Amino acid sequence: MRVPTMILLAIDTSGSGCFAAIHDSAGDVTLGMAGEDIGRGHAERLMDFIDQALANAGIEMGAVDRIAVTVGPGSFTGIRVGVAAARGLSLALGVPSVGISTLAAIAAGYRQGRPTSPVFVAMDAKRGEAYCQAFSADGAPIGEAAVLSLDEAKAAAHAAGGAIVGSASVLLGAGDEGGAGAAVAIDAVARLGVLADPRADRPKPLYLRGPDAKPQAGFAIARA
Amino acid sequence: MSSHLTILGIETSCDETAAAVVVRDEAGQGTILGDVVLSQLDEHSAYGGVVPEIAARAHVEALDDLIRQALAKANMTLADIDAIAATSGPGLIGGLIVGLMTGKAIARATAKPLYAVNHLEGHALTARLTDKLDFPYLMLLVSGGHTQLVLVRGVGEYERWGTTIDDALGEAFDKTAKLLGLPYPGGPAVERAAASGNADRFSFPRPLVGEKRLDFSFSGLKTAVRQAAQSIAPVSRQDVADICASFQKAVSRTLQDRIGRGLERFRQEFPDVSQPALVVAGGVAANKVLRATLQELCDRNRFRFVAPPLALCTDNAAMIAWAGLERMAAGLAADELSVSPRSRWPLDADAAAILGSGKRGAKA
Repeated sequence: MRVPTMILLAIDTSGSGCFAAIHDSAGDVTLGMAGEDIGRGHAERLMDFIDQALANAGIEMGAVDRIAVTVGPGSFTGIRVGVAAARGLSLALGVPSVGISTLAAIAAGYRQGRPTSPVFVAMDAKRGEAYCQAFSADGAPIGEAAVLSLDEAKAAAHAAGGAIVGSASVLLGAGDEGGAGAAVAIDAVARLGVLADPRADRPKPLYLRGPDAKPQAGFAIARA
Repeated sequence: MSSHLTILGIETSCDETAAAVVVRDEAGQGTILGDVVLSQLDEHSAYGGVVPEIAARAHVEALDDLIRQALAKANMTLADIDAIAATSGPGLIGGLIVGLMTGKAIARATAKPLYAVNHLEGHALTARLTDKLDFPYLMLLVSGGHTQLVLVRGVGEYERWGTTIDDALGEAFDKTAKLLGLPYPGGPAVERAAASGNADRFSFPRPLVGEKRLDFSFSGLKTAVRQAAQSIAPVSRQDVADICASFQKAVSRTLQDRIGRGLERFRQEFPDVSQPALVVAGGVAANKVLRATLQELCDRNRFRFVAPPLALCTDNAAMIAWAGLERMAAGLAADELSVSPRSRWPLDADAAAILGSGKRGAKA
């Protein structure tokens, strides 16, 4: 596949980490990155990490050709921090922004050292569920990302074959091999961002869960 | 003293996504060049109120396009803008994050200053955009989230004279509507029903009436409405109309008493202000009965009653842009890009907390 030439800013705020990286697709190298596992406070720290990544790369903001951001599944609030920032930067810089699924980023990170390996990504979604998606030996996603009960996820992982990776891999009975791809790696987000179609929709959160609100009923007084 | 300034304003603190471009000329006159608001009313109506997660989801998918639209209406690009003003509180945190992060990103990419604006300050200063009002004046904010009487002394100088100790007035309207099976939002629905009702049929309590402090309370009224409705259930169409009319009358009387005392206090504290003014803001300001009450109260006390156009009374981004312009013109510092969104942020930072004082600070 021909890789387009660009300087890409990658952003990930979908989990407890808050990361930014500047990637040069021509050399397939990360020129500079910054970030930490901060737990919370993404809205406060993100712009500083972007500045640090630019400084580490020796690049001005104006040289960025594209922005890639993780869209989830993950922390709803964290996802919105990154997506809002990416869309704002895209608007102001006049460059495209693309959304990258965290499941795809985890799969790509794991496959970086094992390029022919099929992989089943399972992220801990709490409440006895996991965010899941299978990827084939050539890295293509098999079916849509979904939130599954742990039993359903186990069955899906078994059916898909390949390694089980991600933060829920141990919950699904996988061994330590899952640890290698447990979290989103910012360079994997960048590489997927280079290959993403910039004409596709702007980054949009991938929640996989509803907003958890029920229409109210039975509250009103009886009407004659 | 100040130059011609243009600001992009962003507002996402509740259920309206909004963007606006406003200019302020050398003489301090403001002009709205582009002002767009996307209401999420339909998304929330089934729930009888604003659902925070639904609101946050809608903001993040709509905001950048609204900013483009506001710029296009103003016939401008970001290159023509001097600064960005975004609401950073108080309000629903999910929405605040979206607006503030978008504002930070635009500020960073264009190397322009960011003003993190208090939503209440936007309401407080609107009358200077619409009516060129001079300081000091009194502002009554009555909406679904706030019920406050605020002394506006100057840009950044606010004194909260009264606030609700429980429900906001708009919330009381919404809850009354919900109880009576009227649609959301409750304000217009209750007002419509009340038009054909007998306001004297029920005698509802007028909380805190007669008390010297200027605070408000509406939860007892809500309970009284529920008890009255239950006692005559099942309720007919006329019953509903009568309850609504009686409810509105009780609210009207409460405001008369509370605000009347506020006007007196203003007179005492500022005897030299020749033409004192009361400004009303917030969605409840659309209610004609309450508006008439306030107008009459102001007439009687020789206060000027200022009610900006409804679109500028309810949540909008022009008021946020204007608040940013006022701060800029007053020489107040812009904010760092590490500034936090704040779900709670009293306009008057020195006021004692009346409602809630956990780690997020006073709610009101």
